[in-house]
Amino acid sequence: MMHIPPYLQPGDTIALVCPAGYMAPERAQTCIETLRSWGYTVQVGKTMNSHSGNYFSGSDEERLVDLQQALDNPAVKAILCGRGGYGLSRIIDKIDFSVFEKNPKWIIGFSDITILHAHIYTNYKTASLHAPMAGAFNEGGAEEVYVASLRAAMEGKKARYTCDVHPFNRMGRATGSLVGGNLSLLAHLCGTTSEIKTKGRILFLEDVGEYLYNVDRMLYQLKRNGRLDKLAGLVIGGFTEMKDTMRPFGQTVQEIIRDMVKGYDYPVCYNFPVSHGGDNYALKHGMEYTLSVGTEVIILEE
Amino acid sequence: MNRKHFLSSLLTLGAGTALPVLGAPARQVVKPVPPRVPDYLSTGDTIGITCPAGFITLKEIEPAIQQIESWGFKIKIGNTVDKRDFSFGGTDAERAADLQQMIDDPGLKAILCARGGYGAVRIVDRLDLSGLSNYPKWVIGFSDITVLLCHIHRNLNMAGIHSKMCNSFPDDWSKAEPVQIDSILSIRQALTGGMMQYPVVMNEKNRTGVAEGALVGGNLKTLETLSGTRSDIDTVGKILFVEDTGEYLYSIDRMFWNLERTGKLGGLQGLIVGGFKIKPDDPGEEFGHTLYDIVLDRVKAYNFPVAFDFPVGHQKNNYALKYGMSHRLTVTTEKVILEDHI
Repeated sequence: MMHIPPYLQPGDTIALVCPAGYMAPERAQTCIETLRSWGYTVQVGKTMNSHSGNYFSGSDEERLVDLQQALDNPAVKAILCGRGGYGLSRIIDKIDFSVFEKNPKWIIGFSDITILHAHIYTNYKTASLHAPMAGAFNEGGAEEVYVASLRAAMEGKKARYTCDVHPFNRMGRATGSLVGGNLSLLAHLCGTTSEIKTKGRILFLEDVGEYLYNVDRMLYQLKRNGRLDKLAGLVIGGFTEMKDTMRPFGQTVQEIIRDMVKGYDYPVCYNFPVSHGGDNYALKHGMEYTLSVGTEVIILEE
Repeated sequence: MNRKHFLSSLLTLGAGTALPVLGAPARQVVKPVPPRVPDYLSTGDTIGITCPAGFITLKEIEPAIQQIESWGFKIKIGNTVDKRDFSFGGTDAERAADLQQMIDDPGLKAILCARGGYGAVRIVDRLDLSGLSNYPKWVIGFSDITVLLCHIHRNLNMAGIHSKMCNSFPDDWSKAEPVQIDSILSIRQALTGGMMQYPVVMNEKNRTGVAEGALVGGNLKTLETLSGTRSDIDTVGKILFVEDTGEYLYSIDRMFWNLERTGKLGGLQGLIVGGFKIKPDDPGEEFGHTLYDIVLDRVKAYNFPVAFDFPVGHQKNNYALKYGMSHRLTVTTEKVILEDHI
């Protein structure tokens, strides 16, 4: 049985932390103001104002301590990550989840944060929020449906998302736990203690900036790990800014995936709004959803 | 069957060595299982050339054919040479069939992959290795061919050769640099059972020590993408070598974490770091750590020797390594020696 952290109430505290790549403090201002305007108290972690001169938003120790404090502080009801980038692999095995396990709270983010979602799903059977992060509130994002979907999810509203039809969609209806995230990270986690099982579940995938051949190779890795064969359903999000080699790969991402899942019969939908491209609905990772892929309408609902 | 049982049963079928221990704190004593070593080649023996990954033309492999024939070996050219399906040397079915025919051919003593690129992982599960077991032969290549070297090591514990491929043979032997010639000739040396010698440039970051164990590894990104699969290698008690090209530093760091988190560093006897052609950081995304920092930080909890700048990788000085065979690595403050025939 999944542990569902308590949904947020007015006045609750949301901690902002940056457990991976560096984020300029001013990039978080709109997010902080917006969360306050929604009635929450915002606790800004040290890694949100890092003096780091390199890639990371602080040393491994600084990032670990900041995240650990947010996990252990009983007043904090949700932890919103500033941004992804890279860095959780370096600290995931040092995080102490014992307090979190007894008093779960919502962990929010995507991209590199996929590691946290997968790790707490597999090891602590706890739901989390795959959703826009602090940076997504900028450039008008705070007024858009995607940030609004994060607010609704935190408040415990049940989501019902629709997306456009795609010629490769495979019709059907599936119910199961919704798991997944960034393909590169899911591949990177294979063989580790953070890896997720996917049997009987609805898997969602997205990625950014990868070579087409590498997307193919990572999907083969999932397939060879038995992560594609017994799915309830598959939700393909955005694969943005894809790159190709001098010798063209010859297939789009959608064609690669269509071929990859040919031998299975579960429903599949493409171009679902979960991505690095801005279209990024909040998804409750680990919670039960129903995916309906029809000829005219695609629905993913809790 | 749950995943744990599935994995352990696969490992039992595999190299027959102990299960990797996640985050093992120190070197472990594991009784090595000697690999199966195909016969070394003699004059008149035949080498097959195939394209399990990227495509190549017959014209492009002519220098390799001429050179290998001058060594006294015969060449059998596979159906996939001169075939093309976008970036691949033929469709998956064509590439698998060509490699399978060579695996099953009792007349071949070695299979030389024409080039790497990408594609071996798409066909590896279609291969029936029993032909290789019945008629042992050397499988030769690197980069994407790491898939085959790992798969054969894991499932047959049979030795292979990690080396340059047809696309690296110089068009004009008389104009080639000495290091190119040496690297190419090292393939012949390995194939004929000669003693291997590696000119290693000293690096002050090396960690001293002596290691003995089976030599395994290859392209780091490829090793990561094999994690958890039935081609994934166990490294306990072994000497691991890694190389890569075109990766960001952050990505290399992440891949070393993958090695650590899949239990591939804890039980090592020694680590060999070959060439890494690093993709420059994007502006504003400076990683701030060198390759040496990344590696040394990852292995600081262990005490095995580490040799940097070893002549293996996507570069001119890429010498043949006898994959899966027992080696001794000696790293002192003055020299790095990798010995086979121990």
